[in-house]
Amino acid sequence: MPLPPPPSPSPSPRMPGVAGGRLFASLPPPPPLRSRREVHVWYLLPDELNDASLLKMYTELLSPSERKNALSMNGEKLQKGAVLSRALVRTTLSRYTDCKVDPRSFEFKKNKFGKPEILWRSDDSRMERPLHFNISHTSSLIACGITMDTPIGIDVEDKKRKTAKNILSLARRYFTPSEIDYLAKIPDPDGQQKEFIKLWTLKEAYVKALGRGFSGAPFNKFSIILAANNRIQISVAPKVSNGSDSSCDCLSENWQFALAELNSSHCMAICIEDDSTSSDSENGRLPLGLKVWKTIPFVEDILVSGTEAVKLVS
Amino acid sequence: MASIAGSSALSFARPVKAINTNSLAFSPVRKGNTFLHLQPVPMRSVSCAAKKDTVDKVCEIVKKQLALPDHTEVCGESKFSELGADSLDTVEIVMGLEEHFDISVEESSAQTIATVEDAADLIDKLVAGKA
Repeated sequence: MPLPPPPSPSPSPRMPGVAGGRLFASLPPPPPLRSRREVHVWYLLPDELNDASLLKMYTELLSPSERKNALSMNGEKLQKGAVLSRALVRTTLSRYTDCKVDPRSFEFKKNKFGKPEILWRSDDSRMERPLHFNISHTSSLIACGITMDTPIGIDVEDKKRKTAKNILSLARRYFTPSEIDYLAKIPDPDGQQKEFIKLWTLKEAYVKALGRGFSGAPFNKFSIILAANNRIQISVAPKVSNGSDSSCDCLSENWQFALAELNSSHCMAICIEDDSTSSDSENGRLPLGLKVWKTIPFVEDILVSGTEAVKLVS
Repeated sequence: MASIAGSSALSFARPVKAINTNSLAFSPVRKGNTFLHLQPVPMRSVSCAAKKDTVDKVCEIVKKQLALPDHTEVCGESKFSELGADSLDTVEIVMGLEEHFDISVEESSAQTIATVEDAADLIDKLVAGKA
């Protein structure tokens, strides 16, 4: 005779349906973003997240359309990635509102080029300066970057990712002459692949920060320059005088970059708007303030910036 | 067996051999005649959408780039985002298609492609534009 099922446990802070604040009760709140130069990055590793009840809880944070979108992905792994992506954005944003906004409450819109943004309700006016966010995912790592009052783009890539096409062919098709030259001068294929991934993620981060889509900022219209002293600069091709290329009307150079190796496995590039005034000298420009956490939403956070897990390249 | 009706007895008396017209080409009796090679006409969908051959080729290139398992269903309606193609995959796929079809795809056009069918459509237009 089978035993009766055990009584269901009383709701703990981790059960769904509980207000956002209680869900995070056991975790310290993240430090506030003190300036426009601060970027906080929260990342998770999908392969570590296999607990069915936790995944179910994350799924319940999503909007109906996000859930539908996640289910339409081809295969369980991609579906899980889609759920984790949205759960990471929602939980992280919630924490930066001091959990005053429940993860489930956030609404998102897309700007006219398709970049996702938070749709703030009129009663969120206590958010004096708006949060900005951007996410990037690979099959093995999903990262969410958060800033206060400045657009942000973030891109992560498996540092060992092998391209199907030859690196120089890819560069010749998509990159600028100076970038092709830079890559062509690297003698060993591994070194070349590594630098390609750096350039790729930096360019992606810029396009995502700009928020105008791939065609709004074509890769071959701006150069990323990796200087010897690890400084990263951007140079925009001068506008052609016949004005035939109106899509590049507003490509700007006032953007700041950070590049780091994350988790010993990934290359991460970040781009934010640079609000330093023209009187600031190149050398006097303050570095981007970066803090990184490895997280399992509702379960644990580990501050990893300043450790081996985040190796700043610039 | 003996049949009562006269006319039907004839039809049952000898088995009628069904002739496969395709096999005519292989008949030794036809040796020396023009080899009539009957090919099936390529199927085109009525709505003038992308050609099946193009769609098939796009599916093949996509499956290879994304290293999808053989049994994965990829067809005209498949969305690149749902197959897990990220931006680097997408540019490599576009490059692969450009190389195979000898065309050049503008970034602005590439950005409008959501499905395999969209890609095949664009390819067909670009190829036709070259002719």
